[in-house]
Amino acid sequence: MKRVVLILATLALVLPAQAFAHATLERTTPGFRERLPSSPQKIVLRFDQYVQQLPDSVHLYSSSGSVGVERVVVNGTYVTAWLPHLPKGAYTVRWHAMSGDGHVVSGVFTFGVRARAPAPTEAFGASGPTTSEHVVRWLYFLALALLVGGLGFRLLVLRRPLPARAEKRFYALTGIGALMTLNVGIAAFILRAEDALQLPFGRLLYGDLSPIARSRFGTAFIVMTLGFALVTAFLFLAWLTDRAVLLWPAFLLGLVFAGGLSLSGHSAADAGSSWKSELADWAHLSAACLWIGGLVQLVVVVWPLMPQARRAAFLAFSRFATVCVGVLLLAGIYLSILRLPQLNDLWTTGYGRVLLVKIGLVSVALAWGGLHKLVAVPAVARGGETALPRLRGSLLGESMVGMAVLLAAAVLVDAKPPVQPAPPPPAASSVPR
Amino acid sequence: MQPASEHVHWLFATGFLLLGLCLLGEAVVGTEVWRRRAWRAYLWPGLAFALGVLLWPVMTFYTNSAIHMLAHGAWAQVLMLAGAVELALVRGKLTSRWWRLGMTAGFVVSGGAFLVHEQNAWLFQRSAFLHHLLGWTLLVGAIFPLARCLRPRSQAVATGFALTFVIISVMLYCDRDVAPVFGHMSPLAGSPHR
Repeated sequence: MKRVVLILATLALVLPAQAFAHATLERTTPGFRERLPSSPQKIVLRFDQYVQQLPDSVHLYSSSGSVGVERVVVNGTYVTAWLPHLPKGAYTVRWHAMSGDGHVVSGVFTFGVRARAPAPTEAFGASGPTTSEHVVRWLYFLALALLVGGLGFRLLVLRRPLPARAEKRFYALTGIGALMTLNVGIAAFILRAEDALQLPFGRLLYGDLSPIARSRFGTAFIVMTLGFALVTAFLFLAWLTDRAVLLWPAFLLGLVFAGGLSLSGHSAADAGSSWKSELADWAHLSAACLWIGGLVQLVVVVWPLMPQARRAAFLAFSRFATVCVGVLLLAGIYLSILRLPQLNDLWTTGYGRVLLVKIGLVSVALAWGGLHKLVAVPAVARGGETALPRLRGSLLGESMVGMAVLLAAAVLVDAKPPVQPAPPPPAASSVPR
Repeated sequence: MQPASEHVHWLFATGFLLLGLCLLGEAVVGTEVWRRRAWRAYLWPGLAFALGVLLWPVMTFYTNSAIHMLAHGAWAQVLMLAGAVELALVRGKLTSRWWRLGMTAGFVVSGGAFLVHEQNAWLFQRSAFLHHLLGWTLLVGAIFPLARCLRPRSQAVATGFALTFVIISVMLYCDRDVAPVFGHMSPLAGSPHR
């Protein structure tokens, strides 16, 4: 009975609820991203506590600029903005209110009048991904490579028990990857919210991020953060209990939750996307993480700390990397054709030019890997022990090029692919009369 | 019906109360008696780690305010890390007593997060009062995990450490704008805003 009570008390903690000291926006009319059949007369914001009016309480923007709001009235927990007649189109609402605790709370949401409302990340004034976001996304890819690639290497390539020091370094590397994944994910979310809300940092701290959390990007952030918190817990428990079997759930969950990027990026949101493009994107990312993460483990763990295992690990990784690179190439070619159906898009569009840079870097990495496969592997397989110590520098170089590929991929993910041409109208004979 | 906004604090207050009572039990009966059943040694560090993991849903699902999201993220991480370090010390994976400074760091970061994310004065509002009180309790309470590194067998230090968690749990039960379980901490601290 005591155990049951303890388990129930612990499980009760899983049920979360809101807990805020300052005003929280509870409801809006029109709703977030609502498509309205006609022009609304007013915008109503309902908060959970009393708010005070600020000079710029409600701003409305159409796709071409600011739309004057007739008047704004604050009544207790309600803020009402009366609107002129709005023509067909997408609209962005930016609001600010003085909370009871003295903080200025702010937010943004969109709606459409006889038109689709854009995601809040594409609200009027949002400029899209910045250089900081490219860097943060790159760090996220690196974190995934350290975590998922490291786990894959340990479970699929280096299956033997490791010496204590090597085991410790393996856990240190993957642990850094896990913590990076969580924290860089938070940074990415905040940066995207900053762009959508268009607020200085001080006011962003009290900004309402829930519309961004409800977007595809936000949903992916929530699911991936929770997933990688679980992965971190499994990784820690595996280290604590010396049970390598616990690395399997960590690895499989890591692979699954990495798919959040594929389900929220171009492969899921752009024209022409389907489950096949999402699957290809996930396979592309997973294969890259396994390849680069494995290289890092080889250079940082195996080479300096397991000299007796270098030969076997190198040969096993060579076979593993061949499969990863094959998957990477197949998925990458499919996605390139999907997003750039015209060959000249490669040099005429910004997306295409970034893709060209990425292809160039991938070619260098492939050539480097090919050199290992065709020259180093036969030499090592023949028992050429003299080649082994020199290989570390070469493997380090290959992993560096791999990381550069991830940087190009980060810029590519943040870039917008060219608009797909509209499908041709059906032939006259097939049009029903 | 209680508003949902209070539930998380109460549930985590329950978690911290359990954690504090475990520590208090260990302080009263002594470590040797407490650990006669091996699983008891893992009880409070495991609970701390689990509470850290469970703070992630709070961070991710409640994004109505960036600063609260960041604060909950910081608490989730330090609680996970502090619990993980204590688990590793019990298990023998870590041996240096200075690893116990992980809990001290957890207290300092948590207390700092409370104070940084509350930008109003003590008596501005009930929640402001609570945030200041929690922040300073954690910062002052950090003396106890620090002292555990230096005097691991001291019953006074162990009791102080345990009572810090019990006090934090009582504070989390109190002083919300609506439906405080134990009443308000200060009658001078503002009026309700709902």
